[in-house]
Amino acid sequence: MSSSVKTVSGKFIVDSIHGDIHLTEAEWKIIDTPSFQRLRRIKQLQMSQVTYPNATHTRFSHSLGTLGLMAKILDITEDLGLKNKEEPENLRLAALLHDVGHYPYSHLMETIDNVILAEDLISQSSGGKSVKKSLDTKQMNPYPGHTELGALIVTSHPDIIEAIGNKDRAKEVADFLTHSTTKSPQLSKLIASSLDLDRLDYLLRDSQATGVPFGHIDINYLLNNLKLSPSGMLGILKKAIPAVEQFLLARFFMHRCVYYHKTTYSLEEACKQLLRRVRDSDTCNYGLAVKGDDVKEIVKSADKLQEFDDSYIDNIVRKAVKDDKEVVRALAISIQSRKPPKLLKEVCVFSDKEDENHRGTIFHQNCKFQLEKLASDFEIPLGQFLYCAPKAIVLEKNINLRKISEVQDMTEDEKSAQLSEEEELIRVFSGNDEKEPKSLSEIEHSIINKCANQSFKIFRLYVVYDGNDRVEKIRQLETAVQRWE
Amino acid sequence: MDRQQVGVMLVLEDGLGLKFDISCFNDRLICQKAIYLAQAVGINLGYYYHWYLHGPYCSSLTKDGYDINTEIQSREWDEWQLDEASRTKLKKIRRVFDVQDRKQLASKIELFASVHFLIDRKRVTDRNVTEITDTLRRFDKPFDESQVRKALEELESYEFLR
Repeated sequence: MSSSVKTVSGKFIVDSIHGDIHLTEAEWKIIDTPSFQRLRRIKQLQMSQVTYPNATHTRFSHSLGTLGLMAKILDITEDLGLKNKEEPENLRLAALLHDVGHYPYSHLMETIDNVILAEDLISQSSGGKSVKKSLDTKQMNPYPGHTELGALIVTSHPDIIEAIGNKDRAKEVADFLTHSTTKSPQLSKLIASSLDLDRLDYLLRDSQATGVPFGHIDINYLLNNLKLSPSGMLGILKKAIPAVEQFLLARFFMHRCVYYHKTTYSLEEACKQLLRRVRDSDTCNYGLAVKGDDVKEIVKSADKLQEFDDSYIDNIVRKAVKDDKEVVRALAISIQSRKPPKLLKEVCVFSDKEDENHRGTIFHQNCKFQLEKLASDFEIPLGQFLYCAPKAIVLEKNINLRKISEVQDMTEDEKSAQLSEEEELIRVFSGNDEKEPKSLSEIEHSIINKCANQSFKIFRLYVVYDGNDRVEKIRQLETAVQRWE
Repeated sequence: MDRQQVGVMLVLEDGLGLKFDISCFNDRLICQKAIYLAQAVGINLGYYYHWYLHGPYCSSLTKDGYDINTEIQSREWDEWQLDEASRTKLKKIRRVFDVQDRKQLASKIELFASVHFLIDRKRVTDRNVTEITDTLRRFDKPFDESQVRKALEELESYEFLR
């Protein structure tokens, strides 16, 4: 198995998924920098190893795999005659560096601003009247996304800039990471679209590491069935539609079974809520970055960046076990002793927005109005109830289903706007003589046509409780929550 | 909805009087640029923008938009209100969005946000109308000098630029 043609440097790395990945001098130098080596200490799947013991692979191997795929696809697109205005080397560097800005435990720390603490969820009232909660935007200084941090590292760390060549080129590579480049939309698509290389690699890698078969996509068949239209649009041949559908479904099933696994997610949610409480604490935050700007300062500093790996969070959890606050302590103990929060109820909804008052909305309302009483009745601190609704999974956006009359009424600017947005969609040559590819969601016999814009969302309520009467109390809690319906 | 998403809805609906809608391209563009401009006057929702095909764009806001759409029926944001200082700031710029035609509104705030971004991120050396217009043309944005001048004046009068 060989994923790329040999390079002048003669260096290569053997990857368990893609085979030999041949490296240029610049790539070799980048891999050797401390900033990139840090990725060896950040697990790809956050806390999944508690459920899937072999899921200990890191952002490091995933980054190399993404480079391997980029090398492979650049060979194919060159054969197809796709003219790219970018240097292929920049695309390879962007693939290699696309995760260099990841937080400790990957998305876990990055998304602590998105958790919904129980006290934020419950309805507040005074004298029988509901009282509005205040959202003070001055207090909001959320952590920046990992792509922004990645761009910051690429453009500010001298060792990476030197390996890339110079500051201007580092900026060009960083623009790929933040998806800001527009020079070559067809190739930019490989970095950011429904069929980007990041997804192709992580589905295969995560599937192999966890032993869950859903992520086994037919990657070679997909790549070998790419075609270029006369206008330069990249699409997939009709015969590869099942492979594309399977890829989109693979992502869907991997979310359901691995990324949103009820036990893994419970510990990750407990950790996010713990970090959020520690960060927002007036008294003690164990050195956790308080503001988004503090995180930027960490990644800009070569020394501090080296400490910004999974151990950064492990240390905070270890200290929080002895925290003064009961809720913080309970969360920390749950994580450290691997006693996951117990799932009291889960509601799964597969719908579009037309579906009013679905079961998820009703469950959410019940939590909002009944959780405080439940906590009081069972004498468990409110903060030990973890409500969460992970981001909805959308198979594929369906933004191309416009009436012909509507398209005819569009100005050239509007058509171009529509088209550029659709660059992110997967396109397919649906007929043998078809010159330009359609979006997959337009093909009537495709599963995606039926399911596009439908989203899958999970609503969950967990409890962290470790009293001697744990089994009985949780049984009673489950019964009480079931009665809400 | 998390606090950031609640913030989006409060800014759009309560603060700027805009209906949340992401059903067509112009609607999504309005949502993107309105949040950008709200952040430009100091409403810190934490969305990071970069330059894309139609000016400042934030991919995590796009994701949040789709997420909000799935929970729109819960009207979670009705239980929250922005702090007084934020409401005052939004009140001052509300008239910018007082355009009935959605297409015209989209075009207007795309220009406002784009000009602001170029100045704020120092993509242009100063507030020179010709330089801004030329820079926009390089990004295939066909705004002329008079449009840019008017946008610049309004951005200054509404204190987007200090």
